Amino acid sequence: MSAPLPELLAPAQPQGVPAARPRGRGRAPNLRIWLPAGFLIALFCACFFWPLVYPVPKPIGGSILNSGLPPLSPGHIFGTDPVGNDIFSRILHGGQVSFEVGLSVTAIGLAIGGLLGVAAAYWGGAADTAISRVLDVFIAFPALVLALAIAEGLGPSELHVIWALAIFSIPAFGRIARGATLTLREQTFMLAARLSGTRGRRMITRHIVPNIMPQLLTFSLLGIGVVMILEGALSFLGLGIPPPEPSWGSMIAQGQQTISASPDLVLIPSAFLFATVVSLNVLGDALRERWANPMGQSR
Amino acid sequence: MTVATAGNRWVARSPGARLAGRRLLTVIPVLLGVTFLTFVVMNLLPGDAAQELLGVNATPAEVHQLEIQLHLNEPFWVRYGNWLGGLFHGDLGTSLTSGQNVTAILGQRLPVTAELLLYAFVASILLAVGLAVLAARRPNGVADRISMVVSMTGLSVAPYVLALVLIYVFAVRLHWFPAIGYTSLTQNPEANLRSLTLPAAAIAFPLFAVYTRLLRADIVEQMQREDYIVTARAKGVRPWRVLCRHALPNSLFGLITLVALNLGTLVGAVAIIEPIFSLPGVGAILISSINNHDVPVVEGIVVVFAVVVVLANLLADMLYATLDPRIRYERSAA
Amino acid sequence: MRHLLPGAAALLLAVVTAACGGGGTSSSGTTQPSTAPKAGGSLTVLEGAGFAGDWPAGLDPATNINGAADQSYMDAIYGELFELGPKGKIINDLATGYKFSDDAKTITLTLRQGVKFTDGTPFNAAAVVWNIQRDLKSACTCKPTWPVKSVTATGPYAVQITLAAPDGAFIDQIFDSTADWIASPAAVQKMGEKAFAAKPVGAGPFMVVSDTYSSELVLKKNPGYWEQGKPYLDSLTFKTVGSDEAAYEAMLAGQGEVYEDMSTPSLLKLAAQKFNVENQLSTSPYDLQLNTKSAPFSDKRARQAIYAATNFAPILQHVFSNLYPVTQGFTGPGGICYEPTVPGYPPYDLAKAKALVKQLGGLTVSLGTIQNLVAQETTEALQTEWAAAGIKTTIHNYPLAALISQFTSGKWQAMVQTAGSYDPAAGVGVGFRFSSLSPFSGVHDPHLDSLLNQAAATVQMSQRCALYNQAAAYIAQQFYGPFYFGFAPANVAVKGVTGPGLTEPLPAVVVTPTILWEDVAKNS
Repeated sequence: MSAPLPELLAPAQPQGVPAARPRGRGRAPNLRIWLPAGFLIALFCACFFWPLVYPVPKPIGGSILNSGLPPLSPGHIFGTDPVGNDIFSRILHGGQVSFEVGLSVTAIGLAIGGLLGVAAAYWGGAADTAISRVLDVFIAFPALVLALAIAEGLGPSELHVIWALAIFSIPAFGRIARGATLTLREQTFMLAARLSGTRGRRMITRHIVPNIMPQLLTFSLLGIGVVMILEGALSFLGLGIPPPEPSWGSMIAQGQQTISASPDLVLIPSAFLFATVVSLNVLGDALRERWANPMGQSR
Repeated sequence: MTVATAGNRWVARSPGARLAGRRLLTVIPVLLGVTFLTFVVMNLLPGDAAQELLGVNATPAEVHQLEIQLHLNEPFWVRYGNWLGGLFHGDLGTSLTSGQNVTAILGQRLPVTAELLLYAFVASILLAVGLAVLAARRPNGVADRISMVVSMTGLSVAPYVLALVLIYVFAVRLHWFPAIGYTSLTQNPEANLRSLTLPAAAIAFPLFAVYTRLLRADIVEQMQREDYIVTARAKGVRPWRVLCRHALPNSLFGLITLVALNLGTLVGAVAIIEPIFSLPGVGAILISSINNHDVPVVEGIVVVFAVVVVLANLLADMLYATLDPRIRYERSAA
Repeated sequence: MRHLLPGAAALLLAVVTAACGGGGTSSSGTTQPSTAPKAGGSLTVLEGAGFAGDWPAGLDPATNINGAADQSYMDAIYGELFELGPKGKIINDLATGYKFSDDAKTITLTLRQGVKFTDGTPFNAAAVVWNIQRDLKSACTCKPTWPVKSVTATGPYAVQITLAAPDGAFIDQIFDSTADWIASPAAVQKMGEKAFAAKPVGAGPFMVVSDTYSSELVLKKNPGYWEQGKPYLDSLTFKTVGSDEAAYEAMLAGQGEVYEDMSTPSLLKLAAQKFNVENQLSTSPYDLQLNTKSAPFSDKRARQAIYAATNFAPILQHVFSNLYPVTQGFTGPGGICYEPTVPGYPPYDLAKAKALVKQLGGLTVSLGTIQNLVAQETTEALQTEWAAAGIKTTIHNYPLAALISQFTSGKWQAMVQTAGSYDPAAGVGVGFRFSSLSPFSGVHDPHLDSLLNQAAATVQMSQRCALYNQAAAYIAQQFYGPFYFGFAPANVAVKGVTGPGLTEPLPAVVVTPTILWEDVAKNS
């Protein structure tokens, strides 16, 4: 909705083609891969495992006597919200939701959209036209209307948010997969494979998928970040995870109603959301560079 | 977007024109599909406009009576057919909530949204070109590192958070721009631009980030890979000239494609940003129209956006095909 | 989110003002103008979207579905027949008097003479009769709900309304009724209804310059206004903003001088440091409606458990900073018949609550409310409190349409709403929440019905109040629904702007007070 889909990978070279001219500048530094990856893994583990291991107040049902405590209060490192819920706990549980939504939507998009895109490009002709038109309809369709309809008709819930956002995600993956497959199809080694008799499923699984996978995977990483922001946008419009359950997006949406009085309620979840999405983007970027330069050149 | 020959420009050749013609024909089914889907979705929502209009105290009899008046009791196909028929005459119907002509409502509100989006696009593209060129001139130099940080930030920040921060810094603290409201262009051009700057910035920043990255990556790749570039530089053409006259125009094709592809996401962007700034555009009424089951208004907005998006994507597709002749010839021969 | 008159009022805040009681608290920074108000100047007033900031169907009294939520604009354009002023005084605006017949079934209104609509046509009994008849015939649920038998002009400036049943609260009910706003019949007929709704013509202090629905309304002074020297302002502009926070920022940025109906407690505290915050007198307490028609609250013990498990004082202190008074009935300090404590009101008793829950074998409650920050915070706090007594609660925050269908389908169990109005018999007063005839009530008790009907029919104020006290005691006795606190929004104004509702408290008719724009001035 608000964040453009970072379709930066359309022109990238598929892996099968050797680079034209080696220029030495060192590999994409490991730091750019391992630092964000480390942060993401640490955050993921914290959100899902910390509450199991180390006692943390519940994210909902806080005592009203604790309402509005500032950060660094005893027992509440990030303070509490106006009804007394511990914000640190809400960040952890909200992070669970953000990760769940981000990963699910991207997985659905990758599986269904990717499959559709590959199929369309591989078969070509009428099938391609049909699938492409359907994808076009969904790309042109204001998915916001659909997301609103789902939320209103079925009631806001995490599952419905995932469905609604998957509507965005599938066409995006479809287009990328289709574009990548189309470009791949014309590579000489693909023509060679075709001439040598490789067909159908073998073609797809042994040649197409492995070669477009890096592109799709890096797109997925960037996509997870986009989905997290979109989930926040849905919550902003009142259609996301229903309160009092926390999600970073809904915490931002609720907090912005009193941002002048208590900016922390917005700043803390925004910071976490920002850090997560930045890490995803840096990681995705670094991986793309690594996979597009198998000989170790950098750009 | 890589091209094999230097200074390639899009030339209409007959396979291309045939392709374009066929693609144009497919626009209509897509538009039909979009409007139909919207109609279906709106009708699946619980309740209807009559219930919304009469609200809490209405008896079922009253609701039914208003439904008859608003033609809501007619079967689904009849209603869609009527609306479609009206569309071909240029009549988008009347709002179920206010009774105003949908065309009039759109006429009042679309210019605001259009200007906002145009402002955002122009700003994002110009700034992206500027920063990308500077960055690509010397990869991993100072400008490049700055561009990477800036675009990473833009990609990672939520537009609604950005809007709040912009209002706080530039409107509340510095008083440089208004926090809310819109002044029309005819009334006062300067105030008009000022009232649109912050909302355009909130929309443009993520776009600018994406475009900068794409452009920079593309230019750098061309500068390092393409034979013609190497040739030009070997001939002694200065790097700036090579960049601006050869690499940049080719990269711009890719950018335009991306811009077109992203148009569809803008409905959501305006639906969030316009209410924050109290701008009287179509985004501001989209949500409330959906909640009010005001189907004609929703359809009207959807149609306009769908037309723009579909045409833009058509253009992008054709450009894509032009740039990679293998695709064009392969598809037209198929 | 669009709200309709009774729905909005009830759902957000029903404000029952006890004018007789007075006893409202005005905030720090209230200034009473010591010198005469200055004439001239333009004022920008911000209104929150989702309530007053929406007028999606235009501003024609007969068709404005938002009804009294848009009272600010209606009052500015049309003026009113009678106005509710500070301290509950009934002010004669376009009408100069009223008289009840002995059986309280006929009311005669006398109108002001020599008044013209802004299109030059005369304001008279014929115009008023035309308007009221038109309002009664309209398809809008904003239409008046009186059982009217006839409306006639008994003289050039006298209108007689005959009802099918006695109604002692008629004048109080006029304040939130569309009949209070008189449109120019000639203009409606000449322009047609659609065009009129976009650019209405009335006899009020201001006239319409431009109107962008639910976004901006620009008004200018009516040079022919009947009251000499008024309005003080030359122009008045209303702008819609998204939320309390957006309004606060806009005011800080200098883009608005007044914001109506701020309800966010933390922002109120902040705003009071820079602006005048005028807390209104509550006329509509928050209450918890319990659906007695189905489980679990068809069982009296379950209802009693809720009363015993609820301790509202800490919630009031921590969430609302003690800005509002605790209430035990459907009357509030800003309305008539205010009764702060109801004899026999079941107190907080956690041990008793636990025992009752145990008796019942557990209690699970589905608790709903409208999507609104204050309501949400209240339900979350209640959820926590009840958990201590062993009551399991799930919270649902509904948008308006879903809320309506919860009620009409009868599937709801407990709803946090507001009950009451300036006069309990008016609009979304107590009947809306407690009468067996209302689809939005959880109570079906003929005894309570008869108490409320009797009270509405009587003209004698003391008798009415006695009956309402009986009703409140009965509600408590039957555990029909605990009351919480008398919430009332506040109006925020920059220093130097004065007027009723801005620098002195004004009883709210329905939810929010109707600011008398002809009395508002900009003194700096």
